[in-house]
Formats: sequence, C-alpha cells, structure tokens
Amino acid sequence: MVHVVAPGITAPVAGKPRWRALAFVLLWAAVAVGALLLLAKSVQNSGEFSRLQPWILLLNLIGVVALTALLARKLTELVRAYRAHVPGSRLTARTVGIFGALVVAPLLIVYLFSLQFLNRGIDSWFHVEVKQGLNDALVLSRAALDLRVREYSRHTETLARSLINATPEEIARRVYEERRATGALEMAVFGSHERVVAASLENPLESLPSRPPSDLLRQVSERRAYVSLEPQAGGEYLIRTAAPFTEAPSRADERYLVAIYEVPTQLAALSEAVQHAYSQYGELAALREPLKSSFRLTLTLVLLLAMLAAIYGAIFSAQRLVRPVQDLIEGTRAVGKGDFGTRLPLPSRDEMGFLVHSFNDMTKRLRRAREEATRSQQVVENERERLAIILARLSTGVVVIDRGLTVSIANQAAGAILGTDLSAATGRALPDLTAGSERLGQFVAALVVRFAAGREEWREQLELEGASGRRVLMCACTPQLGADRDLGYVIVFDDITMLLQAQRDAAWGEVARRLAHEIKNPLTPIQLSAERMRRRFLGSMSPADAEVLERATRTIVQQVETMQQMVNAFSEYARAPEMRITRFSLNQLASEVADLYRSHDPRVEIRLELDERIDGIEADRGRVRQILNNLVINALEALDGVAAPRLEIATRAEQGGDARYAVVTVCDNGPGFQRELLGRVFDPYVTSKPKGTGLGLAIVKKIVEEHGGRIDADNRPEGGARIRVVLPVTDSTRSAAGIRERRAELRREIV
Amino acid sequence: MFIAVTLAACIPDAQAAALDGVLEIHSAYVSVEGGVFLLHARIEYPVSPAIRDALHDGVTLTVDLETRIERERRFWFNSGVLDLTLRRELDYHAVSDRYLVRDVRGGTQKSFATLEEALADLGAVDDWPIMVEPQLSTGNYRISVRAGVRRGRLPTSLRALMFWTDDWHRVSEWYTWSLPG
Repeated sequence: MVHVVAPGITAPVAGKPRWRALAFVLLWAAVAVGALLLLAKSVQNSGEFSRLQPWILLLNLIGVVALTALLARKLTELVRAYRAHVPGSRLTARTVGIFGALVVAPLLIVYLFSLQFLNRGIDSWFHVEVKQGLNDALVLSRAALDLRVREYSRHTETLARSLINATPEEIARRVYEERRATGALEMAVFGSHERVVAASLENPLESLPSRPPSDLLRQVSERRAYVSLEPQAGGEYLIRTAAPFTEAPSRADERYLVAIYEVPTQLAALSEAVQHAYSQYGELAALREPLKSSFRLTLTLVLLLAMLAAIYGAIFSAQRLVRPVQDLIEGTRAVGKGDFGTRLPLPSRDEMGFLVHSFNDMTKRLRRAREEATRSQQVVENERERLAIILARLSTGVVVIDRGLTVSIANQAAGAILGTDLSAATGRALPDLTAGSERLGQFVAALVVRFAAGREEWREQLELEGASGRRVLMCACTPQLGADRDLGYVIVFDDITMLLQAQRDAAWGEVARRLAHEIKNPLTPIQLSAERMRRRFLGSMSPADAEVLERATRTIVQQVETMQQMVNAFSEYARAPEMRITRFSLNQLASEVADLYRSHDPRVEIRLELDERIDGIEADRGRVRQILNNLVINALEALDGVAAPRLEIATRAEQGGDARYAVVTVCDNGPGFQRELLGRVFDPYVTSKPKGTGLGLAIVKKIVEEHGGRIDADNRPEGGARIRVVLPVTDSTRSAAGIRERRAELRREIV
Repeated sequence: MFIAVTLAACIPDAQAAALDGVLEIHSAYVSVEGGVFLLHARIEYPVSPAIRDALHDGVTLTVDLETRIERERRFWFNSGVLDLTLRRELDYHAVSDRYLVRDVRGGTQKSFATLEEALADLGAVDDWPIMVEPQLSTGNYRISVRAGVRRGRLPTSLRALMFWTDDWHRVSEWYTWSLPG
C-alpha cells in the first residue's frame, strides 16, 4: 500500500489503513476472547465443551484456511514486488524472513517436543509391565475364585448324588442341614418343569428360591453339572452351582440341586478391584491410538494457526515498518521529477514520523520556493513583454547588442530607420545583417569605429547616405548596466532628418519673410530716388555725364526690379494663405497640367498613367495645380539637353491604415538628382540648375505638408529623378491628424 | 510438508466403523396400564468380533434408547412434550468371564454367559414407563424412538478429544408412530 499522493493531491490518506488495522486487531481480539470464553466454559462444563467442539474445530479450520489464503496472497504480492524491484520489497522480505525464522523455529521445536512428549507419555500410561501385572492379578483372582467355585461345585455334585434315593423329607432335611453347614445363601432341589422339591434359604423373608437361569436349565437338562460366578451390582459375587441327581441320561430322574454361595467379602472386594482396574485399563488402552491422533491433530492445528498467524503478523508488521520507507522513496522520486506537491502520510510519532514530517516540510518549502520563483519569472516575463510592446510602439530605434555585436533586442523602428528588417535579427551578429542595407552598413561601421576607439558611452549625430537620400540619426550608446560589465550596449537612435528639415524650412521661411519685409521696403525709395535723380539731373548734365547717369540709374532700376522679383518669390514662399478646400478630380487636374505642358514643349513626351480608383480628392485645387506645375517645370528643366526626353505622371490610390491616400509620381529620364544633394532637394536654394530661384521644390514641399501629405525624392534605378507626393484623399484625415497645426507650432518653436 | 504429513496421519482412517452391522428398531409400541404409558421395544444391536474384542479389553458399551413425544400441530412445527433416555451399559466382567448388562438409572445388573444373550437382553425393552395420562391433552401425538450405541464411560475430557477419531458411535433411524388422541 503505497501512500504517495498523486501529484497535486496533498491530503494524506492515512485514515483508511489505520481503520483497517484497528478492525483487524479488534477481530483477532474478539476471536481470542471467544476462544478464552469457550475454554473457560469447557473447564466448567465438559459436556458443553464436547457439544461446542465441532464448532470450535470448524472455526479453527476456517481460521487456518483463511490465514493460509491471506498468507498466500501476501507472499505472492511480496514475491512479485521483490521480482519487480519495488522499493522497500527487499527490506520487507528480509524482515519477514527474520521474523518468520524467529517465530517458526521455536514453534517447531516446541511442537516436535510436545509431540514426542505426548507419544511417550501416552505410551508410558499403557506400559507393558502394567498390563502384565493386571493380567497376572486377573489370573490370580480367577484362580482364587476358581478354587472356591470348584469346591462348591464338587460339594453340590456330591450332595446331589447322595440325595438320589432319599425321600422328600430326607432331602428337605439334608438340604437344610447342608445349607447351614456350608453357609450357602440358597439351596434348593428342583424337579421337572422347575418344580421346587425342597429348598432352604438363608433369608427368612423369602419363601421361594431364585429362578434358575436358562443356561443352567439347559445344562442340567443335558445331565451336566453347572457352575457360574455371578458378579452382583454391589460388588459382591455369587457362585451358583447346580448338579443333576443322576448323570445317566437314560434315567427319568430330572431332579437337580441348585446351590448359591456367597464369595467371602474380602475376596470379592479384591476381585472387584482387579476387575475394575482391568476394565479401566482396557478402556484406556483402546483409546491410546485415537487419543494420540487427537492430540497430534490438535497440536498440529494449534501449531498451524500460531505459525500462520505469526508469519502473517510478520509480513504485516514488516510492511507497516517498511511502508514509510517506501513512501519516502516514492516521495523522493516524485520530488526528483519536480513534483513538489507530494505529501506523505505521517505513520506515527516515532523517529520515522519525524523523518516523514521533515520530508513533508522540505517538499513544502521547495514548493513555496518554486512558486516564488515562478511568480518572479512571471513578473519578469510580464515586464519583458511590456518592454517589447513599448519598444515595438516606439518610434525611436533601440538596438541592444553584446560586445561581439550580436543582437539581443532590435525593435521595429530600428529596422525602419536603418532601412532593413530586423525582426529576425535576434541572436545574429549585426555585421552579418548589413547585406542589402546601405544605411545599416554605415551604422555598423560608425559603431565599430567608436567601440574600437574604446568609447562606450556617447551621444552623437550620424549621417547615413543611401539610395533614398541622406538620413540624420541622433544616436546614443550606453553600456548595459549590470553586475556583469560585459553585457553589451544599448543603442538608441532617432531619425531626425525630418526634424532638421522642418527646422531648415522654418528658418528659410523666416529668412524669406524678413527679406521680403526688410528688403522690399527700401527698394521702392531706391527706385524712386534713382528715377528722380535721372529726371532732375539728366537735362542739366553734359551728354557724357548724362549717359553715365542714364546708365547708372537704369542699372539701379533694373537691379531693383530684379530684387523685387526675388523678394516676391521669397514672399510667395513665406506666404501661408488660407486654403480653400474643395473636392475635385486629381486625375483631371493631372491631365490638364499634362496637356498644358505638351503644347508648351512638344519635344518632350509626357505620359500619363492614372488610377481610376481615385475619383476625387479634398484639397486646395489651385495649390495642388501649383504642385504639379512646379514638379513638371522642375522635370522639364532637368530634361533640357536630354535626347528623347520623357516625363511620366502617374496617380495611384493607396490605403494606409484607416486613411486613403492619393499618390502622384512624377518621373523623368534626365540625369537625376546629384547624390550629395539628394537629402536636401527640397531645401530653398538647393539646385543644380543654372536658372531658377531654387524655391520650386521647396514650395512644393511646403504645400504638400500644408495638405498633411508627404514628399520624397530619389533616383530611379534605370536613371532619372522620381518625386513621389502622397496626399490624403479626405480633408478629415489631415484635420484629425492636425498636421498643419503641428507644423505651424514646430515652426514657431524653431523661430 | 512435515506438518501436512502429520495432519494427514492424524485424520481418522477410512476403515469401517467399529460398530458395523445392523442397528435398528424392529418394533416399538406403547401400552397404557392404569394411566401409565409403558413403552415396549425390540432393538437389534450389532454384534461383531470387534465388539467382542473391545469388550474383552475392558471397553464398556453404552446403549441409549431415546424417546421423544411431540404434539402434532397442523400449521406449525410440532411441540415437544418430553424427551427421555433409557441408558444401559454392557461390559465384560473379566474375573467371572461374564457379560454384564446394567441399567444405569435403576442400578440393576444382570450377567450373561454369552454376548448374544446379553445383546438380546439389551434389545428387549418392556414396560418402560414413559409418561402418565395427565401429561397429555387432546390432540394427536407423535412418538419417536431411536437407539444409539457408543463407547461409554470415557472420562468426559478424553471423550471431548476423541470425538473426531471416535468411530464407536452410532445411532439408528428414528422409529416413529402416531398416537391418536
């Protein structure tokens, strides 16, 4: 019975076996008390015992059978367990062996000794010499009595013969005299048919002689003398003798004499004593073998009961003794497998109980410790998950690397900023991931340079060049804090390209406004002054001076006009007029612009590729037209001098989250943007062309941003520039985003 | 193994019982004289050399004649009116070479020269008063008689031990008749 509780079940189940053991003990106690009562009863009343004995025997036999069955079962279990190497079975077997040997050996010795003793004892009761002595005594008694019998018999015969010819009176007299002389109890002469001829009795109260027994009659009828020794109920002996008057069968005389004598008291007593002893001895002798068998059987039964009970008890005790050890073994195994929910039943309050208690205490502590660890791990895991979520949602790139540049954490934003997918980068070295990403390569190179220089904590701006332009990152590197200094680094970086761009935009806007304000004002007085000077002094001057003045004032006026144009352009850039949002067809607008420039410069092939899914867009139609105009002009200027110039205007509908966008792409097959200018093409005065104010693309970008859109420029792989404008389709999208407001605020802050 | 052999040796032999032979009640009846019910019966007891030898060895045979009178009831078990046992003993008197038949209760004793005569005397029961008329009420009565022989006069404690090896015990079938009310 293993009490190891299954994993998860912690209640000890010691109650049931205890009850079973108690019931077992009570049963045996009841049987023992019953046996004692029966014994007591039998001592008081043997008859009762003999009546009950079959039941006692039956009970004993049932006991033997039941015990044998129980024992066989137990032994089978034990052997099976031993063969299966069940923990504790060897200890049980050894204990049972020792207990069994300790019990069985003395029992067998006592049994054999008792058997021997019984055999010899019973045999000694019937010793040969005793029997011989009794036989001799019997012979002696018989001889002594025979003497008397023969004497009386002879006397009776003699008397009978002497009475043959006597008269009846004489017979009566002789009978009386002889009875008196011999001391006989009775003397009578019978004729035919048992007729009393003469009789003399000692007892005066009796008038008739006793009736002759049949064997006497039979014998005298055959003319033969009769004699018998008849024991009486009181231990007396009578000698009955009879003799016919004549022994010749031919004679008709049927008379016979019967005499009854009493054996002397002393002789009778002695003979009776011998008879009694003989009878007793005979009866006992006849019992010898059955008695021995009975004793043997009883003893064997008792031995069997005792032995079986002892062995059973030994097994039971051994199992009880070993059970806690088995429980401990099972429990230890369970703990070894990681089941700390194991609780063992407390066997008793002894040392074993203390051990089991300690074990339970240990498993309890282990369980608590594990629960604590699991809880802590869960907390850490939760924190980690939260961190992962935060990292994933963060627009700042975070990369955690060890000293071998192996990535342990890289969030989505890091991948987006570095222009590569870092979702599968964990566990891989950063340099191995640079293939296919120019910016990541430059980023890793920058890191390596700094680490090689022994710099572990730094905050710097990194500029990364790539096909899609220059990116400026604000990058901070911190060594990971921890007990182990070699944990690695946490690198946090932000793409501040847009921010810088916005700063530049704002700065340019301010410059433009100031220029417009500060320069435009003095220009008119300058022009007016120059014209006034010309008018006043031209007529009064010499032709040579007049020519000089004329040239000078004309130059001033021309330059002032030029400056005014320039200031107007700046003013246009700085201007932020109220937008008039209407719904119009972008495709139609694009077609109009394309048609306009087709007629303007037929040399250039203008292709249109319009997405029919864009039916309408909510925006300021005039400003969108300006975007398209500026882009087309910019492209046409770039195509100047290009053989087979080609311009492509494409619209496409895009879905980004909940919002819909219209994408306008303007491509040309010109020389494309210069690589070093790629990141700054939308800055004012960034131009590679000899003509123009350098504000065309800057204005485009400004309008796009005012519409809540975005713009980017790159070079096509097959050659030529490509500018991509993304505009929200509905006004609510940009209103919700509040992009314009944000940008305005940003600009103000920078200013 | 040893114990098993011993146990087997202890179990009584399958030999014929010592009291083999006829044991039956040939006849039995009740007569009423002066209001006293007298039982008369003739019983045949077994006789064999084994019995003779046993008697010669000093064994006493006890012979019981059990009489049971029940009142018959129609819808229930019969009710017992009385149970009587007439006990006699037969033994061999070695000193006188005679067989003695003793009436245990009456204390009378008769001696016989032969066993057959002694058994014939044992088997004849005459005028055994079993009850008086006032003991009976109206109704039918059932009288049963059974004879039994056993080796007698054992010390009780020994007899208790002997019971499972004692083949010296036999009883006859019940001899039953009705006594009309």
